[in-house]
Amino acid sequence: MSDQPPESAVSLPLPERIGASRPPKSSTLEEEVTDLFGQLRDRLLRYLLSIGLPLQDGEEIVQEAFLSLFLHLQRGRSRHNLRGWIFRVAHNLALKRRTQAGGSFRSPADPAEASGDLLADPAPNAEDQMASSQEQRLLMAVLQAQPEQDRRCLALRAEGLSYREIAETLGISLGAVSHLLTRSLARLARASER
Amino acid sequence: MAADGELSAGRAERLQKHLSACWECRSQTRELEEAIGDYVRLHRRRLDPMLPPAAGPRALLKAQLSELASSHTSRSWSWFDLSAWRRGLVAASAICIAIAIGLLTRWEWAARELRPDAPGVPVAIPNARLTPGVAVATSREEVCRESPPKNKMVPVSVQRRVFQAYGIDSADPGAYEVDYLITPALGGSDDIRNLWPQSYAATIWNARVKDALEDRLRQLVCTGALDLPTAQRDISRNWIAAYRNYFHTDRPISELSP
Repeated sequence: MSDQPPESAVSLPLPERIGASRPPKSSTLEEEVTDLFGQLRDRLLRYLLSIGLPLQDGEEIVQEAFLSLFLHLQRGRSRHNLRGWIFRVAHNLALKRRTQAGGSFRSPADPAEASGDLLADPAPNAEDQMASSQEQRLLMAVLQAQPEQDRRCLALRAEGLSYREIAETLGISLGAVSHLLTRSLARLARASER
Repeated sequence: MAADGELSAGRAERLQKHLSACWECRSQTRELEEAIGDYVRLHRRRLDPMLPPAAGPRALLKAQLSELASSHTSRSWSWFDLSAWRRGLVAASAICIAIAIGLLTRWEWAARELRPDAPGVPVAIPNARLTPGVAVATSREEVCRESPPKNKMVPVSVQRRVFQAYGIDSADPGAYEVDYLITPALGGSDDIRNLWPQSYAATIWNARVKDALEDRLRQLVCTGALDLPTAQRDISRNWIAAYRNYFHTDRPISELSP
């Protein structure tokens, strides 16, 4: 009998705890916000790109979110879960930007755009590389067929957010996050079996 | 959820016992773990090449933070902490700055007079003295020549000035969006006199409703049913009244839907 520890159905990388449970590294607020930018910028920008935001808009929203964080902290507001706070602000700004753009973004995840070059495994063996690329194209197609909210949950989880942080970012319940993640991963798992 | 510590100790223990005994469940769990691995690799491989280096954005953020921090610090300076010649220098600089930004200063003085008593009160209709509305395009051909332009993001420094003018500098700017009164799709300018803080707290007369009005007005203008100056005047005077007029309703259409 295996001693494998129990896992929830979905256990993407565990989030680091930022904010309430850890004192700021830097003595000044500017340094603290800059440190957080260093930790979270790539994750935040990757999430914004994954939901279809153009790169330039994504960069602007990341800047705006961190400036809002500075003002938030400067006013002595809550330091509870700053990572969740900043993802929520950026997500809401992205939705607003999408509304202004006429309700749709061009998704960078279109299967046609996701070329073999982009998805190719850097394995030396050409056959392995082709097989891996085909698997990933299939996975991408399954991913693209999923409802938008499912894809958002997956992307946020892949960026290290906890269930609770995802729920707060998307404004849905904890149970809904669990349901959406389990459902979408089950679909991806079925696709991998084919 | 167990991995996040969201399950009670009792439920987590029951889950562990069940998994120990259930081969099928463990097999399914492994399949899901593999799917997670595949997804995370795909997510990273697809998006990481698109990320530009962080150094430039980081430097930009630092510069903007310094500007924000210095503007905050300057408010807490004590005049009497400065030596006489420095006080003179500061006074001279202040006079020069005041002259250089005369128009802006006048605008902001007007803003102070008109600040609401309670900072942070949701703004549904812009103050006509602060935000009379400014248009750059004055002909139907200019507006209707191409597909409607996107609203450009308002720079943070301009947003701050708008918030301060409306007396919501102590409220959470995240609760507001700085919006164009006359939308660029109707020839509106990005002049500060065409910008106002629209509250996210507004549940009925909100940004989506105003967007619908903008679409309707542009459609009317571009089909020749309405002249552009009238559309610009109506939306800038009172956009809610304009909505009621052009949609022939007292409440937003979306509110009336079941």
